[in-house]
Amino acid sequence: MLLKIPIEYKNFIINHAKNDVPNEACGIIHCLDGKPSNIYKVTNVADSPYRYEMDGIEQLNLEKKREMSGEQLFAIYHSHVATEAKPSPTDVRMAFFPPGNFDAEPMFDNIFYILVSLENEIPDVKFYSIKKGPEVLEIDVNFE
Amino acid sequence: MSIKVRMAAVIQKLTNNQKEFDSEGSSVNELISNLEKQFPGFKAQILAEDNQVHQFLNIYVNDEDIRFIANLDTEIKDGDTVSFLPALAGGN
Repeated sequence: MLLKIPIEYKNFIINHAKNDVPNEACGIIHCLDGKPSNIYKVTNVADSPYRYEMDGIEQLNLEKKREMSGEQLFAIYHSHVATEAKPSPTDVRMAFFPPGNFDAEPMFDNIFYILVSLENEIPDVKFYSIKKGPEVLEIDVNFE
Repeated sequence: MSIKVRMAAVIQKLTNNQKEFDSEGSSVNELISNLEKQFPGFKAQILAEDNQVHQFLNIYVNDEDIRFIANLDTEIKDGDTVSFLPALAGGN
């Protein structure tokens, strides 16, 4: 599977991650007809270099916005300030509800989890899907 | 007393896929007990073993997080909206 993503989305995520150093940054991408349509920064209420938790009210408002616009949830992104661009065991656990309930379907079955790493001088952005099991798959992405 | 309940999309399976509906209660705790009657099994998914709200579940009365009010004892009144949504969270 090769996913085509406008380069503006990659740049937005990297800039957000850099601006929020030393803390992790997080946000949400909406899509229309399967194509990214909007990207939103969401406040990391954990305010931490090691973890993120999206502001619930902002999360709820974005869900309402999707209902109004007909858009769907496309991806959730967050940054790793000093580790690789790969979902951590905590990230995978939190993809399920209740957390770690790997026998169930994940909370979001058909979305992408985007990780941006600031570990090296050139930021690394990678897309993943997380499935029951848990199964974590990296998705090939062409930024264009 | 009518309380509007709103479930985030990802946990609507707990309420027979209903997104918004009316229920009753004078506190969040009472509302959850009523929701358990409406949707058996609801409470076990919302509360942890210590009978407190699951750490990574957020409950809002209108736009206020109940953790900053009185947790499960938070009073609710006719016309209030109570929203349930799991936290989107992670960390390394």
